[in-house]
Amino acid sequence: MSRVVSFEGLWCVFEHRSGQLVNALHDVNFEVQPGEFVCVVGRSGHGKTTLLRVLAGLQPPTAGQIRLGEEVVEGPGADRAMVFQQDTVFPWLHVRDNVEFGLRALKVDDEERKSTTAHWLDAVGLTDFADSWPRELSGGMRKRVALAAAMAVGSDVILMDEPFGSLDYFTRRNLHDVLLDLWEETQKTIFFVTHDIEEALILADRVILLAEGKLVDDIPVDLPRPRDEDVRASAGAVDITKTILAHLGITEEEATQV
Amino acid sequence: MTSTDVLDVRAKAQRDKRRRRIASIVYIAIGITLFFVAWVLLSLEASPWHYDIPPPFGAVGPFQDILQGVWGLFREEGAIAHFWSNLGTSQDMRIKFVHACPDLHPANVNNPFRQVASSLMGWKYTSDTAALTGGPLPVPIGQLPDYCYGYGIHLVVTIIRILLGAAFGTIAGLAIGLSSLVFPKVAQVFTPIASFFGTAPIFIAAPFFVIWFGVEVPIMTTIGLVTFYTTLLMYFFSRRAAENIPVGIVESALTLGGTPRSIFRWVYLPGTVPEIAGGFRIALAGAWGLGVLVEVLGIQVGGGHLIDIWRFLIGQLQAPSALVALITFYGVLAVVVDALLLVIIRYLTRWSEAGRRLGL
Ligand SMILES: Nc1ncnc2c1ncn2[C@@H]1O[C@H](COP(=O)(O)OP(=O)(O)OP(=O)(O)O)[C@@H](O)[C@H]1O
Ligand SMILES: [Mg+2]
Repeated sequence: MSRVVSFEGLWCVFEHRSGQLVNALHDVNFEVQPGEFVCVVGRSGHGKTTLLRVLAGLQPPTAGQIRLGEEVVEGPGADRAMVFQQDTVFPWLHVRDNVEFGLRALKVDDEERKSTTAHWLDAVGLTDFADSWPRELSGGMRKRVALAAAMAVGSDVILMDEPFGSLDYFTRRNLHDVLLDLWEETQKTIFFVTHDIEEALILADRVILLAEGKLVDDIPVDLPRPRDEDVRASAGAVDITKTILAHLGITEEEATQV
Repeated sequence: MTSTDVLDVRAKAQRDKRRRRIASIVYIAIGITLFFVAWVLLSLEASPWHYDIPPPFGAVGPFQDILQGVWGLFREEGAIAHFWSNLGTSQDMRIKFVHACPDLHPANVNNPFRQVASSLMGWKYTSDTAALTGGPLPVPIGQLPDYCYGYGIHLVVTIIRILLGAAFGTIAGLAIGLSSLVFPKVAQVFTPIASFFGTAPIFIAAPFFVIWFGVEVPIMTTIGLVTFYTTLLMYFFSRRAAENIPVGIVESALTLGGTPRSIFRWVYLPGTVPEIAGGFRIALAGAWGLGVLVEVLGIQVGGGHLIDIWRFLIGQLQAPSALVALITFYGVLAVVVDALLLVIIRYLTRWSEAGRRLGL
């Protein structure tokens, strides 16, 4: 029962303290098919988080709307579970209870709740840590808890805002594999915000580029999977990288200087 | 590193933990010693307070065998022995009690000096207003029921009042504080009231409670004041605790399908425990002082009343300083209750950083 996600004339304007108006989102229009893996890429402060927050229902748009199928997004809900950039695992609940939270809120009966939780803990490789406190886990493991919690509520759209930004390279690569496995298994639609072009090339079916709140390009990434080193070094991948860099306003000289 | 080394590390951690525990006991002992040293110094002949402050250990002179003085506390005529043997009713105590409140003796009613002295206690005030308004007069001390002429009943009554007041206040404060998160109207109404009374020191409010409720209904006065005080504190503590929960965590709960009810149960309730529990310890510590203080203001049954009476007895009768025993009793009681609380709090907050440091 996956649904198309449509962004229709979406504006989000903020007034800063100086009185200056900022178009965090500037007339954004696009459509995402069920099961697509979309990476939202852009420079810092160009509206990526805002796009995700409006989709999550945490931020009302100034104009326009987002629809899931026929339904207009009006507030947060379990059909659009989100994994945040910061650590949002509940420190006062055991790992298992963290994953169970959404299911409890949805009043899923005990038996189903337990089996669903066990399934997702297993899927992210945390079965042995089910009875641990979050403080006893590493940062990467806590991200897996957040991922399992988001998966467990059974939404068909998952939102991820630079979820692995604070992790080291190896942990991040490992979590990419975990995430891609889950995605292939569940066929959920995933919105993944990142400013790391390599990460986008590893994960995405499609890259949405935002610059100053405008959708400046919508790039299909039709590279074969799995996207190992060879694939990412292929001519097709390099072309995509160049396109993205050009849109972000980074010329090749600038890129090498940095 | 082999696993034997690991075990060694663990043993070392345990040794450290024991050492910390012993250190804290030593600190408490040093604190108590300093307290008594200060007391002895204040009661010396050279001290300006010499005439106001009796030496802590009976009639023993300054530094003149303090050990003997400590022993004196336990001797037959010592403060602790006296305290212990008079837990129940005794004729001896009855005489002292009546003597301690001479303003109630018919012969003294017209003595202006006595009246000034007794009005300081707040007692006179209530009996006068009662006389003016035609209300019931406070029971003269000589007519109190028999069980009132011993230490035990006073101590028990005070403990019950304070714990009841703290319990009522905590429930009320948490209910108002946490519901104000869900219903902003509650916060709009309650925050100004709480800020107003919260800024005025509660000890100033104490005499008003005595006036409003009078001393003949000590339940209302003591329990009421302690309840009032804990409600205020717990209101602020619970709100602050909830405000300190990161917005990101609440937003995350919302996108996972959290309803107001489930977010309250699984986010606000467990997440605010450490701060609320810490606040409760502070509130209870204050409640001991407040409860006893308001009794000193003229309530006939309760530990505060004993203190009040002893102000007279020390000056007039050279009675053994049962006051020392009384103060010690309340001090020990407060420490014991606090230690029990700490055990519960440690269990409830074992998920937190503090829990990690405590090795739970
Ligand atoms: N609540 C808010 N109030 C005012 N301005 C805001 C608010 N949220 C976002 N903005 C502004 O909107 C713009 C886009 O912010 P956004 O957080 O979406 O950027 P981003 O692309 O996620 O950046 P980053 O990569 O640094 O996370 C910024 O100029 C920011 O200052
Ligand atoms: Mg952002």
